[in-house]
Amino acid sequence: MSPSHASDVPVYNPRNYLNSPATGLKSWLLTQDHKRIGVMFLVAASVFFAVGGLFAMLIRIELLTPGPTIMDAMTYNRLFTLHGVVMIFLFMIPAIPSGFGNFLVPLMLGAKDVAFPKLNLLSFYLYMLGAVVALYGMIHGGADTGWTFYTPYSTTTVTKVVPILLGAFILGFSSILTGLNFIVTTHTMRAPGIGWNRVPLFVWSIYATSIIQILATPVLGMTLLLVAVENAFGWGIFDPARGGDPVLFQHFFWFYSHPAVYIMVLPAMAVISEVVCAFSRKNIFGYKAVAYSSLGIAFVGFFTWGHHLFVSGQSAFDAGVFGVLSMFVGIFTAIKVFNWTATLYQGSIAFKTPFAYFVGFLFFLVFGGMTGVAVATVSLDVHWHDTYFVVAHFHFIMVGATVMAFLAALHYWFPKITGRMYPEGWGLVGAVMVILGFNFTFIPQFLLGNEGMPRRYFSYPERFWALNVASTAGASVLAMGLVIVLVYLLISLKWGPIAGPNPWHSRGYEWDTASPPLPENFEETPVYTRGPHEYDEDSYANPPPVAPEPKHAS
Amino acid sequence: MADPRPIAHEEHLATHHAHGMRYVVVWIALLVLTVVTYAASRVHLPGGWHVAVALLIAIAKGALVALFFMHLWDQRGANRLIFVTSLAFVALLIGLTILDNATRFPLANPPGSAGALPWGGADRDPPKLPQ
Ligand code: HEM
Ligand SMILES: [Cu+2]
Repeated sequence: MSPSHASDVPVYNPRNYLNSPATGLKSWLLTQDHKRIGVMFLVAASVFFAVGGLFAMLIRIELLTPGPTIMDAMTYNRLFTLHGVVMIFLFMIPAIPSGFGNFLVPLMLGAKDVAFPKLNLLSFYLYMLGAVVALYGMIHGGADTGWTFYTPYSTTTVTKVVPILLGAFILGFSSILTGLNFIVTTHTMRAPGIGWNRVPLFVWSIYATSIIQILATPVLGMTLLLVAVENAFGWGIFDPARGGDPVLFQHFFWFYSHPAVYIMVLPAMAVISEVVCAFSRKNIFGYKAVAYSSLGIAFVGFFTWGHHLFVSGQSAFDAGVFGVLSMFVGIFTAIKVFNWTATLYQGSIAFKTPFAYFVGFLFFLVFGGMTGVAVATVSLDVHWHDTYFVVAHFHFIMVGATVMAFLAALHYWFPKITGRMYPEGWGLVGAVMVILGFNFTFIPQFLLGNEGMPRRYFSYPERFWALNVASTAGASVLAMGLVIVLVYLLISLKWGPIAGPNPWHSRGYEWDTASPPLPENFEETPVYTRGPHEYDEDSYANPPPVAPEPKHAS
Repeated sequence: MADPRPIAHEEHLATHHAHGMRYVVVWIALLVLTVVTYAASRVHLPGGWHVAVALLIAIAKGALVALFFMHLWDQRGANRLIFVTSLAFVALLIGLTILDNATRFPLANPPGSAGALPWGGADRDPPKLPQ
């Protein structure tokens, strides 16, 4: 056997980033260690995920009966707005790039840290500041515009949109700084031996995400500021009553927000590319295709924004142009899907929790993506626009793909981040509940939308009742699954069995260092003589126990 | 490749060679262009040419600032490429948005916006008949 499998009793690295150089609160709040910053992002984003999830459950309970159930219409409007804002701006956009990306990108490049550690910490504080400002607005009045803040309503509503817009504006800067940091890190901090063709696929995808963050986010900032200004001073920019053009707002907003959906889904693809290799014990099928398709997705994602404006008064000609352009985005995603599937072929698959989430991911991504192509067809969208069909479409990708990838990442890298293992059996139970619960929640919504139930209403005709009950039931299963995951992960933090440096026998570079990693990542700068996903040697393709054999430290 | 030093080094050299005169010249050019902007606004031009002229002058000024005050002129290929790429995306945003206004059902355009651009755009108000 190759000596790298020799460690029979996994050891917990005693001097690690969690306890060195210090453990006090101050040492965390002032840290410049990308790993600690990543962990802080992960914790914060997870808290917001729970908050957003709570809002979602309240929405689903309200929709349990056709009439008013537990709240009035105004409260309902505020609730779905808060749900959207929290989930998108506070959880979905930062979770994987700022959380896992921060933790992993330097480790995967053999670097000691990101290129600008202080900027990295600033990015975290901007995130917290933006969150506090937005939450202030939510507590003191909330907003009832939906996360899209469409004008002219958002410039005239009496609810507190300005602080929420300002919060989102600040969050944008956090996003930009993180993106900038990753781009420079990838260009300048790669260890010897990591040429562009050995950059791990996770980093490639995060790199593509960063490009979008830098190019698109400023447009969102500009737009939100214009709305805030119009709301505060009554200038006529978007409000037709004052000579503005509301469709202009939609152009600006979606110029950011369509690429932003790729800010959410590219990091998910980043995770999946790693997971699929590690758990099928095979080199990725078509490294270059998978790597460059990330850039392709980032690029074509900028050409499709008008598909959100099909029924908004956009010209029929522009709608046609955007409809055709939207068809191109399928190409690069399909490349990835086929390559992941081909990677499985003849692999020695270990059906662990991360792999279970991968399976869920693949289904949801394809289903969600295909329905995306369907709604990007102008004639079909006239029927589906602003119905539950659209809600189901984007939840399939954002929850279905991105949350699955987030959970896969959480389980796959849990041993690296904490040095401990989670209970595999419970992991699979959680995964099954999450995946099934998710299907039960959103498949009824596709049907509802197709039958014409509009989104963003707190009551509905009785003929929609049965499917709404089904959806709420599904959401309850989903929530229960997530609670189980939360509970066993929290328990594992303290009582989980020691994992050792590389419990999955993964070939990813980040597994070459101890678990949890040293504060300075590596004893000395590593030099790489192999690619990041090479399982060709027999000892790696079929390692002795593929699974970590949990042993308690003596 | 993975070493950031050469870039910093070149930049350092470049800034040393650029004498202060350059900044003065650019500054004067900016002032002149500002005056031109004002003057152009007083001249009678047909249709939406005022907006076009003002935008052209603004682009020229922005280019001067980016090239000389922000040292893009002294940068190597990759950095210039990145800058040009971002300009291309700005053009994309403006281009496809204006395409919408120009081909839209006229009444969907805000009142008074017709003819804001030299090449027109769909006019929401009925054309004025020559007397
Ligand atoms: C890849 C990940 C994707 C994500 C995260 C995503 C997300 C979203 C979101 C959040 C919305 C709703 C926005 C709102 O609140 O109004 C939406 C709507 C839409 N998506 Fe996607 N989407 C994805 C993929 C696609 C693809 C591949 C296409 C088509 C090529 C597509 C086409 C559309 C269209 C046309 C709408 C507007 C439907 C309407 O409002 O009538 N999406 N998507
Ligand atoms: Cu879109």
